[in-house]
Amino acid sequence: MSLDTYELLSALVDTSGVSGAEYSAAEYAKEILSKYGETRIDILGNVICKVGRFDESKPTLLIDAHIDEIGMIVTYITDDGFLKVSNIGGIDNRVLTGQTVKIYGRKIVDGVIASTPPHLKKDSSAAADISDIYIDTGMTGDEAKEIISLGDRVCIFNCLERLEGGLVTSHALDNRAGCATVILAADMLRNEDTKYNVCVLLSVQEEVGERGAKTGAFTVDCDKAIVVDVSFGLTHGEDAADCGVCGSGGMIGIAPSLCREMSDELINTAKDKGIPYQIEVMNGKTGTNADAIGISKGGAKTVTLSVPLKHMHTPVEVVDMRDIENTARLICEYIK
Amino acid sequence: MTDMINEIRALCAIDGVSGREDKVREYIINRLNGKAESITTDNLGNVIAFVKGKKPADKKVMISAHMDEVGFIVTHINGDGTIKIAPVGGVDEQVVFGRRIRINDKIAVIGGKAVHNISSDERKKTVKFENMTADIGAASKEEAEKVVSLGDVGTFCCDFISLGKDKICSKAIDDRAGCAIMLRMIDEGVEYDTYFAFVVQEEIGLRGSTCTAFTIAPDVSIVLETTTAADIPPSQGDERVCELGKGAVVSFMDRHTIYDRQLYDLAFETAKENGIPCQTKTKVAGGNDAGAIHISRSGVKTCAVSVPCRYLHSASCVADVSDIENTYRLTKKLLDRIYTI
Repeated sequence: MSLDTYELLSALVDTSGVSGAEYSAAEYAKEILSKYGETRIDILGNVICKVGRFDESKPTLLIDAHIDEIGMIVTYITDDGFLKVSNIGGIDNRVLTGQTVKIYGRKIVDGVIASTPPHLKKDSSAAADISDIYIDTGMTGDEAKEIISLGDRVCIFNCLERLEGGLVTSHALDNRAGCATVILAADMLRNEDTKYNVCVLLSVQEEVGERGAKTGAFTVDCDKAIVVDVSFGLTHGEDAADCGVCGSGGMIGIAPSLCREMSDELINTAKDKGIPYQIEVMNGKTGTNADAIGISKGGAKTVTLSVPLKHMHTPVEVVDMRDIENTARLICEYIK
Repeated sequence: MTDMINEIRALCAIDGVSGREDKVREYIINRLNGKAESITTDNLGNVIAFVKGKKPADKKVMISAHMDEVGFIVTHINGDGTIKIAPVGGVDEQVVFGRRIRINDKIAVIGGKAVHNISSDERKKTVKFENMTADIGAASKEEAEKVVSLGDVGTFCCDFISLGKDKICSKAIDDRAGCAIMLRMIDEGVEYDTYFAFVVQEEIGLRGSTCTAFTIAPDVSIVLETTTAADIPPSQGDERVCELGKGAVVSFMDRHTIYDRQLYDLAFETAKENGIPCQTKTKVAGGNDAGAIHISRSGVKTCAVSVPCRYLHSASCVADVSDIENTYRLTKKLLDRIYTI
């Protein structure tokens, strides 16, 4: 009955969801969430699920995770079948050259980000700039235009694969890892009688400025919110003071913009139930949907829970599945 | 897909970084079973197949392709379990960061500091090998050492895919395409006695071919290769070097070889007579085993017939199926005529 984390995450990263075109990811999530309660997709494309029974006398708690991912958008097609693109969200220019991409046209086709051979390069120490790159479709201009239109999305796709330990890698783990966490929590809560009316929001367009969370939170009208996203997992060369550690549990946010009472409650719940956790201190806003949700309508008590993730905004993001499971458990225990 | 393209797919899937071509060699020796008069593996690991023709030849002719591919070698394991790698062969740093590689059949991802945590200057710079690490998911040096040792090699980890109607995309097309063309030529038999050499260590300095050229001591040699095509925007005119879909590439000069003019002319003449698309390179760039072969012993008349290929030495080499077919056709016809010069 309970969901398998790997299978769930694998299916989530296989769907496409570059910001503003989250349709396939949203449809898949809706299908799963429908098992837990009334689920719909709103005007911007957010997936909203009312988990279980709702009771007017209870406060409403929102669990949010953004479902979109960074990527590219086609802005021009050359006569010889190459695409020019613009970035959607904070693309890491350093990873672009020579990557294989998926182009979401009338059908999904592959392409390669062209790389200028060394003998024609003025300076190979400079990373590619998104505005200068061309995507090789292997097609003529006419063939390309049959399948691909301006405005189509492009992403550097890697399916989910296991690394050593409990770690997995793919593209878009920011934030399908958060989506998986929220779905697992909803699954655990399905038969629980809780203190809250629980509402799940898988929000669109976070990577372009928390837009889906803004409208979604307005619709849901919550009293409290838990925002599940990813944060920096310690990798070689980074400062341990600035990062969580993969495998050491979800990161409970403490920040001036967050509700300290909720942070403390989460910490106490984790301690009581023996769930591993880490603390993530931020000194203002959080750079997550919590920034928008916290000031939705008349304001909501909001906290962040982050899954530590290595190599953020690259196609080789890495998370520990135990962190996803433990974060889901923490949410579940907190709500019960 | 034709049998030859399927064979390239099978060959590209095998990992064979320079010096560690064992699995490619094994595949080729199995494939050659019973099809050559003799098959020898020398001290370096080169495979030499002597194929009897319908007629004996008064010249010794060697055709070669290299089995090795560019990749990575493990130079150090950090305390945190991440792995330091160095390139084997000419791997541009630009095509490494943010990719998957395969070390001992395990996936490792190449990463470093997240883009959010570096300066705006650093964001515009290619990540250097010294600043990237391979992450296999190990949490400590001890854990990493259970699966990876110093000196282990890695390759790009990618699928073999189709692009558009007639292009293929994979790692290692350089030079498994050449290997596959030679295997097909052997399958179909040759007019005259011919030596086929599947060589090692091309990517680190034409080392395998140096030895096979000495051992075989050919009079004439054809190198089957892939060569850089830059027919991508914004390249114009001569900057495009050679183009996909325009046929086999026969060059007059690269950084290692000034090719034998008689063979160069014969290749174009043969192409014209048989209606095989053929082009030359518009830049003096790159190099291949011809560089070692043409100066072997007292000298060897040498030419190179290449498949034009975009993004060489990356996980996403792109070649056109028609060019591979035409490179095969031209080499076969050229081989028949080479005995007459």
